[in-house]
Amino acid sequence: MAGLAKVLVIDDEPDLVEMLRMALERHFEVIVAFNGKEGVAKAKAEKPDAIVLDIMMPEQDGFAACRELKDNPQTALTPILILTGVADYFGRTKYTKLSGMEIEAEDFISKPVDPNELVGRVTALLEKDKPSKT
Amino acid sequence: MWEKLKVSARLPFQSLWAKLIFSFLLVVLAGGLASSIIGVRMVGNTIIAEAQKKVRHDLLSAWMIYQERLSRIQDVLHLTAKRDLIIPSLFGRDTEVLRRELEKVRIEYGLDVLTIVDRKGFVLARSRPPYRAGDYQGNDELVRRALKKEMVASTEIIPQQELAKEGEELVRQAYMEFVPTPKAKDRPETKQTSGMMLKAAVPILDVNDNVLGVLYGGTLLNRNYEIVDKIKDIVFKGERYKGKDTGTATIFQWDVRISTNVKNRSGLRAIETRVARDVYDQVLENGRAWIDRAFVVDDWYIAAYEPIRNIKGEIIGILYAGTLEEPYTDLRSNVIYSFFGIAFLGLVLVLFLAYFITRSITRPIGELAKATEVIAGGDFSHEVAIQSRDEVGHLAVSFNRMTMTLKATMEELYMVNTKLQDLNRHYLEMVGFITHELNQPMGVLKGFLILLQDESLGPLASPKQKQAVSTMLRNVDALINMIQKYLQLGRIESGRMEINKTRVSVFREALAPVLEDEKKQLDMRKMEVVLENEEVFRKAEAVADPVLLRIVFSNLIGNALKYGRQGGRIWCGMRDESGECLFYIKNEGRGIPAGKLAMVFEKFARLEGELERHRRGTGLGLFNAKVIVEKHGGRIWAESEEGAWANFLFTLPKEEKRS
Repeated sequence: MAGLAKVLVIDDEPDLVEMLRMALERHFEVIVAFNGKEGVAKAKAEKPDAIVLDIMMPEQDGFAACRELKDNPQTALTPILILTGVADYFGRTKYTKLSGMEIEAEDFISKPVDPNELVGRVTALLEKDKPSKT
Repeated sequence: MWEKLKVSARLPFQSLWAKLIFSFLLVVLAGGLASSIIGVRMVGNTIIAEAQKKVRHDLLSAWMIYQERLSRIQDVLHLTAKRDLIIPSLFGRDTEVLRRELEKVRIEYGLDVLTIVDRKGFVLARSRPPYRAGDYQGNDELVRRALKKEMVASTEIIPQQELAKEGEELVRQAYMEFVPTPKAKDRPETKQTSGMMLKAAVPILDVNDNVLGVLYGGTLLNRNYEIVDKIKDIVFKGERYKGKDTGTATIFQWDVRISTNVKNRSGLRAIETRVARDVYDQVLENGRAWIDRAFVVDDWYIAAYEPIRNIKGEIIGILYAGTLEEPYTDLRSNVIYSFFGIAFLGLVLVLFLAYFITRSITRPIGELAKATEVIAGGDFSHEVAIQSRDEVGHLAVSFNRMTMTLKATMEELYMVNTKLQDLNRHYLEMVGFITHELNQPMGVLKGFLILLQDESLGPLASPKQKQAVSTMLRNVDALINMIQKYLQLGRIESGRMEINKTRVSVFREALAPVLEDEKKQLDMRKMEVVLENEEVFRKAEAVADPVLLRIVFSNLIGNALKYGRQGGRIWCGMRDESGECLFYIKNEGRGIPAGKLAMVFEKFARLEGELERHRRGTGLGLFNAKVIVEKHGGRIWAESEEGAWANFLFTLPKEEKRS
């Protein structure tokens, strides 16, 4: 599986995680976590190339997880794609900051997630990341 | 509503109380005035009528005194004629004795004239110096009749030359020089030389009843006040009023006062004055009595005049009795003053009563009005305390009952409303919950369906499978769309919608993301978005919540997508208007009937004929857009040409309105 970029998906909804995994695993190596804590731990352990992070989660929500990841030098440079729900109004994308919440994510994608768009976004993030890595 | 009720008040008063008082006053004034006028007239007429009756009566008494005087003269003559001394002396033509005897009688009985005439009518002796005799008196009517054995007495005019025969003093006594009198009838003469005399004549008879001669005598009335003063004393009892005699009597020779106790301004007897013209005409010319008010010398009297006739029945003068009008007019004035005084007192009393009566009537009404105001203000605990048993009392009771009913109804309504609000909240919470819960699985469904459709998970075996996946995906999209609208509604209706206004680039932050999101849908329906006035649009800025503004554009574009003609165009544009920006999304298609243009913004609004399943919406998109636009201080409306196009327009203020 070498050569394939590693993407960590953090979401509490197993079915959604399953769907996201299926969408992503044709292009990337996918690892999953089901809550914020687990996600942060896996990020530190596995060092993924990109992280797909859900906002609404039990244990530790996306905001806290994102902050922790960005504060940690090991993971600070890993690009994060935030999944936002319709419950946070509609269609929050890269054009808007989340109201009242400072969040240092590289991109946003709104639910419901179009798997093709997700793949496109992740690919874009990784490509933008490459020159800085090499 | 109340301002529309115009009270057509003809009275210039605002309060019921003043109106009632005014009405009372009007009624009392009208009634009082009418009764006063009638009463005063009646009383006045009665007083005058009574006075006239009395004066008529007084004149009758005066006549009696006058006649009595005349008969006394006749009696004196009659008795003298029978005296033992007279007849022999007459036989003997002893004039000396006759003269002496007659003078004694004349003086004793207060006569002015006493004369004896022989049977041929020649004067034998007079009883007054210069005792002239020998002249013929047989052509005197009284003497003529006495010679025929009649005893006669009457008032007679005695010419000056005859008076002179009886005595020079009598000429002077009778002489009258007229005093100018107001209201008197004009006469060419200025003086009067004859006199008026109470005169009697009796025959002197022998034992065989043969006429031997005639004895005549009398009293000159001119300047003789005996009769008039007697009338005053007996008839009027000498009453005085304000220093004036109330009762007066006068004897007129023709129209000249020759004997009177009417005083002139100097307080002297007003002889030589003349009677008023009206009386002259009525009494002297027509011989009728006059009973009315009359201007006597220089005062008003209630007067009675009757003609004095001589033996032949010719009118020669007037007897008058009158009473001063002033006491009667004063009495009448007093009565009138009393009347008005009483009326005034009555008026005051009525006003006083009216005040209390109207107060007692209007006070409860006033209280009721106040209570109505209090209750109109929403305080249903207020109760009207009116104890009266009349209509107002009934009204108060009904009013209280109405208030209680209202209160109960309001409480019930409040409870029902609270319940409804609870229900609505529960409903919204449930909708929110369900849609929220639906959202996640829908997302999973949609993702897998896309993966299936793309054959990312392996090839689909048949076209039917592809068809099925495609249909499922379309339906899942519709559901997700619906869920999003309900989530918006939940936010709006629960009041949790926060508006974070900032200056936003409308195109970049609201329209462009929406168009990007809807790109796939647009391609599917082969619809083209045409940006109008793009240069300006890209630069346009407004003060709005970017997230909410995106919902507006999303809903409007979604609407155009749903109802626009397949393969048609959608025009997006903006215009800069004074103080605000106007945005519009116009689509080709069936359009909206003119009568339904406003209706489309109502919650759950559906247009007729919207039967195609895939087009059925929630009826929330435009409603949500409307609420958001209005919360931003803008307006939203629709225009359409049926069968051609529909246009949705909304405005946003350029600057934040500071309130």
